[in-house]
Amino acid sequence: MQLKKTLGITLLLLAVCLLTASLSENFLSSYNLENLLRRTALFGIISIGVAFVIVTGGIDLSVGSVICLAGCGLPWLLTTQGWSLPSALMAVALVSAGIGLLHGLLITKLGIQPFVVTLCGLMMYRGIARGFTGDQTVGFGDGFKGLRSLATGRIELPFIDGFALPAPCVFLLVIALLAAFFLNRTIYGRYLLALGRSEEAARYSGINTGRMTVLAYVLCSCLAGFGGVLFVLDVNIAQPSDCGNFYELYAISAAVLGGCSLRGGVGTIYGVLIGAALMQTLRNMIVLTTRHQHMEFAIIGAVLLAGVVADELIKRRHLRRKAVRSLREESTPA
Amino acid sequence: MKLVHLALAVLSTVAVSGCKPSASGSGKKKIVFVTNAVDPFWNNAAAGVRDAGPKFGVDSETIMPTEGVADQKRIIEDLLTKGVDGISVSPIDPANQNDILNAAAGRTKLITNDSDAPTSNRLLYIGMDNYKAGRMTGELVREALPQGGSVMIFIGRMEQDNSKDRRQGTIDGILGRSEDSTRFDPPEIVIEEAGFRIVGTLTDNFDRGKAKYNVEDTLSKYPDIAGMVGLFGYNPPMILEVLAQANKLGQVKVIGFDENEATLAGIQEGTVHGTVVQNPYMYGYKSVEVLSELIKGNNSVIPANKMIDIPARQIRKENVDTFWAELKKTLGTDK
Repeated sequence: MQLKKTLGITLLLLAVCLLTASLSENFLSSYNLENLLRRTALFGIISIGVAFVIVTGGIDLSVGSVICLAGCGLPWLLTTQGWSLPSALMAVALVSAGIGLLHGLLITKLGIQPFVVTLCGLMMYRGIARGFTGDQTVGFGDGFKGLRSLATGRIELPFIDGFALPAPCVFLLVIALLAAFFLNRTIYGRYLLALGRSEEAARYSGINTGRMTVLAYVLCSCLAGFGGVLFVLDVNIAQPSDCGNFYELYAISAAVLGGCSLRGGVGTIYGVLIGAALMQTLRNMIVLTTRHQHMEFAIIGAVLLAGVVADELIKRRHLRRKAVRSLREESTPA
Repeated sequence: MKLVHLALAVLSTVAVSGCKPSASGSGKKKIVFVTNAVDPFWNNAAAGVRDAGPKFGVDSETIMPTEGVADQKRIIEDLLTKGVDGISVSPIDPANQNDILNAAAGRTKLITNDSDAPTSNRLLYIGMDNYKAGRMTGELVREALPQGGSVMIFIGRMEQDNSKDRRQGTIDGILGRSEDSTRFDPPEIVIEEAGFRIVGTLTDNFDRGKAKYNVEDTLSKYPDIAGMVGLFGYNPPMILEVLAQANKLGQVKVIGFDENEATLAGIQEGTVHGTVVQNPYMYGYKSVEVLSELIKGNNSVIPANKMIDIPARQIRKENVDTFWAELKKTLGTDK
C-alpha cells in the first residue's frame, strides 16, 4: 500500500524530468542537476520535519518563520554580535528546539489547536528576526567560506567526471535514512503513526501520546532551523522580511504530495523526498523550457492538482475493482 | 491561507497603529516617508529623512511595507486615520493605486518618490527618470560587451513603473535604439538586434533564494551567456554569488544597478563592469524639505513639470572609490 501511494508521484516526477529533458538539452547537464539536487536537499530537509508533524495529524505553519529566525540569527550572531561559531550554532539549535518544545507543550498540555499555535509562531518568529536585525539584511560577506561550504560545497564522486554531489545532499541522505529508520523500524515511529491514526486509541493502548506529539514538533522545528542555516549559507544573505517566506507551503506540499495524509497516520519519508524533488523540478522546468515565468505558480498548481486527482482516481478504481471482485465471489455458489 | 493572511493583516495593523509618532503633541508637523519594500537601498533614503527632520523643524519618519501592494495600502490608510501632515510614497503599482493615492492626496499633502504615479493627484514626484537611468545601464552593457552577445536581465518585480521603465531603458540602451520610454518589449520574447541577444527577464519577487536560482538556471539554460544585468539592488550580489560558485567570475560580464556593498566591491575587484546609482538619500531629504514647504502653504516648490529630478550616475572602476567614501559618509558608517 505504501509503495502504491508513492508510485504515482514517482511516475509524475519521472514524467516531468523526461519532458523537461526532451525540451531542454541543458536539463541533464551536471551543472543543472547539481543545482536541482542542492535545492531538493534544502527543501527536502524542511519537508521531512513537516512530515513528522503531519503524520501525527498536526500541522506546522511556522516553518518559514523558523527558517527566517535561524537563517538571520546565525549571520547576525556571527558577524554583528561577534559570537564564536560553536556558541552561535548552539544558540540557533537551542532556539529551534525550544520553539518546537513550546509548540508541542501548548498543543498537548493546553490543548490549543496546532494550526493556531503555529500560526502565531509564523508571525512571531519572523517578527523577532526583524526586530533584532533592525529589519536589515544580514549576511556573511566574504567570510566564513569554510562554514558556507556546508551548503555550497561539492563532493567529487569517483568514476563520474564533471559531476559532484552538492554537500546538502549528504545531510539530506543522513537525515532521511535516520527519519525512515525511526518512523518504520522503531517502536516510537510506530507510536507516531498510531497516534496520527487515532490519538484516543493510541492513548488507551498505553502510548504517551503527549510526549510523542512534542517530539514531532521538536523534530520539525529543529529541521526547519537546520534548513534555515543551510539556506542562508547557500544564499549568503538573508533579508528578515522575506527570508523563508511561504517556504512552509513548499514543505507542506512536498509532504502531502509524498503521500502524507493531512488527517494523520500515513506517510513515508521516501514520498516526501520525491515530493520535494517534484516541486523544485517543476520550478526549474519553467525557467529552462518556457519564457513564462509569471505563470510559475499556475503551472505548479495545475500539475500538482492533476497528480493528486490522478492518484485519487487510481485509488477509487482499485477500490471498485476490489468491491466487484468480492461481490462476484459472494454471488458464485460454493 | 486566507486565514493566515487575515490574521497577519490584523496583527500588523495592531503593530503599526501601536507605534506612535515620537514627538506627537509637540506641535511639530508630521511627515512620513513610505517605501515600496524593505531593502538597504531604503536605508539611505531613511537617513535623508532622518537628517532633514530637525533641519526643517518637522517630525519625520520612514515606514517600509513588507508584503507588497496590499501592505502599502494598509499603511497609508492607517496614516490617514492617525492624521499626518505630509506623505511621500514610492507606489508599488501606480496604475492601480490611484484610489488610495487620491484618498491620501485629498486628506494630506501627497508626493511620490522613486516611482511616480502621474495619473494620480500627487503634487509632485521626486526621483530620477528610470528610463534614462536604464539607458545608462544599457550603455555600461555595451561598454562591457563591445562584441555583443547574449544578455539576461534580472529584476525583483516588473509591475511598478520604475522597474518597467528601468528595464525598457536598459534594453533600448543595449540595442542603441532611439529614445522612447513608451516602448514595451514583453519579457517572454527574445530580442535579437545590433549583435545582442536579450534572452529574457527573470523576476524573483524579492525572494533572495529565488533570485539566486534564477541566475543558476540561466547558466544552465545558456552556458554561453555573455552578460548579466541585475536591476534591483540585491540582484548583482546574487549574480556574483552564483558566478563565484560556478567559477565563472570575470567570464560573464556583470552590470549592476544601485550601490549594494557587494556590487561596489565587485567593481573594485573587476568582477562587475559598472553600476548605475540613484541618490536615495536625496529622495528622503528632498521629500521632507519639499513637504515641509508645502505644509506651510508655499506651493512655489512645485515645478511646472511636477518633477524634481535627482539624476542617476554611472559608477565604474575609476570613480568607485570616491563614490563609496562619499556614501559611507552620508550613511555615517565611515567611522
